[in-house]
Amino acid sequence: MKTKKMLHEKDTMTAEERFQAVINLQVPDRVPTNPFIYFFAAKFAGITVHELWSEPAKYRAAIDKCWDELGPWDIYYPVNTRFPEVYSFVMPMKSLWPGRDLPADNIMQLHEEEIMKAADYAWVTDLAHRWPHLAYFAYFMKLISRIWDTVDEGWRGYAYLMPRIMVHSMGWQLEFASQKKRGATILHGYLQEAPFDVFSLARGLIPFIKDCKERPDEVRDAADALTDSYTFMSRLICLTTGVPRATIALHRTSNDFISPKMFDELAFPSLRRLTDKLVAAGISPILHCDGNWDLNLERLRDLPAGRCMVQFDGPTDIFLAKKVLGDRMCIMGDVNADMLVLGSATEVDEYCHRLIEEVGKGGGFVMGAGCEIPPNAKPENVKAMLDSVVKYGYYK
Amino acid sequence: MIKVYEELATFIAEVDDEKTLSGVREALDSGVEPLLVVESLRCGMSTVGERFESKEYFLPDLILSADIFNQAIELVAPYLKSEKEKSRGSVVIGTVQGDIHDIGKNIVATMLRCAGFEVDDLGVDVAPEVFVARAKENGAGMIAMSGLLTTAFDAMKDTVQALADSGMRDSVRVIIGGGPVNETVLTYCGADACGKDPAEAVRIAEEFFGKKEDVL
Repeated sequence: MKTKKMLHEKDTMTAEERFQAVINLQVPDRVPTNPFIYFFAAKFAGITVHELWSEPAKYRAAIDKCWDELGPWDIYYPVNTRFPEVYSFVMPMKSLWPGRDLPADNIMQLHEEEIMKAADYAWVTDLAHRWPHLAYFAYFMKLISRIWDTVDEGWRGYAYLMPRIMVHSMGWQLEFASQKKRGATILHGYLQEAPFDVFSLARGLIPFIKDCKERPDEVRDAADALTDSYTFMSRLICLTTGVPRATIALHRTSNDFISPKMFDELAFPSLRRLTDKLVAAGISPILHCDGNWDLNLERLRDLPAGRCMVQFDGPTDIFLAKKVLGDRMCIMGDVNADMLVLGSATEVDEYCHRLIEEVGKGGGFVMGAGCEIPPNAKPENVKAMLDSVVKYGYYK
Repeated sequence: MIKVYEELATFIAEVDDEKTLSGVREALDSGVEPLLVVESLRCGMSTVGERFESKEYFLPDLILSADIFNQAIELVAPYLKSEKEKSRGSVVIGTVQGDIHDIGKNIVATMLRCAGFEVDDLGVDVAPEVFVARAKENGAGMIAMSGLLTTAFDAMKDTVQALADSGMRDSVRVIIGGGPVNETVLTYCGADACGKDPAEAVRIAEEFFGKKEDVL
């Protein structure tokens, strides 16, 4: 009989059982952890970010070093890619890469340019009606061909990218197997920006804000039209990766970028439709909510109960979020970047204790950093965050 | 004339492009002093900033009102001839070394210009010595540094140190801003203030340079 892999002595659940429990708003044995480690791993392991992302063996060694010296953790957050063009499938923006456009030890940085035109909304909507399952992929191929000189818009572009996507997917499979062997589970099998947010990134913030004023129906309808193909891609990739969870990145829908009224009228309709479709397809949506969402929290109550997780990165009042959303969805976060970089291990420990006591009350909570762990975070602070769930996080 | 002033300020405060631009044309055609028109627009922009800080308005309102302001200024420009408005103060702004993010920095620069400050935008990935040299060259009273990455904290600290090393620290105020920037980072890098959003950045600049008296 196969024995269950437990991460800590007092654990009674596996990492996957624990993660499923918190998403379903059940009380697990303890609070799970999900550190968002990638650029940090390079610095901690003493390699450059260029090496981290271009040499898979060094990436694995860096992650293993983090696990061995700072971990374990329950949930692995996969983001890495060997190919810049493939990364553009998550966030379609111009990007500067360490070792090529930036010093090798810098981190990858995104640069906003107008790579989508206002006329593209109508094209996207039409495309989605003609190719309901493949529109998102085709739309991204068009954007990526505008970002990268290496990618042609036609069949040559597909021929260039498809093998790289397959290599990337196989790389993920190996990483997932390695993490599962250690007893962790995987956050998501699929990760992509939500349609509305893609428009903001690809148009550029200022043109996009003008679009929302001058052609709101086009923006809303195009985002809505892409939900079928987003769902299709999620189902396909989640099936391939064997992880029935999809992260919907929402970098541009917080109150920092748009008003609550714009969120309600233009962004939320497609977000709601997308989460409904993913849940119907057996996929748990994970909302990656960067920025301040305080005034959007009530609206998120309309999403399917006990099926979604929402990640906050610091600006949102996570304690308010627990009060507003705690009976509807699992919450993840939010040890702030500045605390991990400039704070002390004691400060991190105290903050994590409070998170566990208040946001973790009754389950439905995952301990994590606010977005990614910064590359210059103090290792002792990362360890304090991961250790906190063992010190304070058991429910029985 | 008073009515024009009041109406223009209201129109732009309501982020109404059509009424603002037609109001500017009407005011100029009827012989209103162009500097008075500019000042009325600034008064409206100040209201936009106040509404933003009270969460009645959001970033789109700042962006759209700044766009209207710039269009209005284009209409006023030919009438200004040799008249030149006195700057409220000179600001050098940029994203710090090692960081190329510029959306927030660009919006702050635009809002400062709308508020009547002279702004020298150095762009992104700006080295500490470049900030200092340009502040010296311009006689700037304020350096505004932006950064989205946590690695920007050290670049901000280095820039404050470079300013101190140049002997200009007492005459140049330093403001920082950007996603992860807060009071802890402010203490760490030794700047004078941090602005959590563009409206706060403008308010801090006004406090540094002193509130402009109403021209009416």
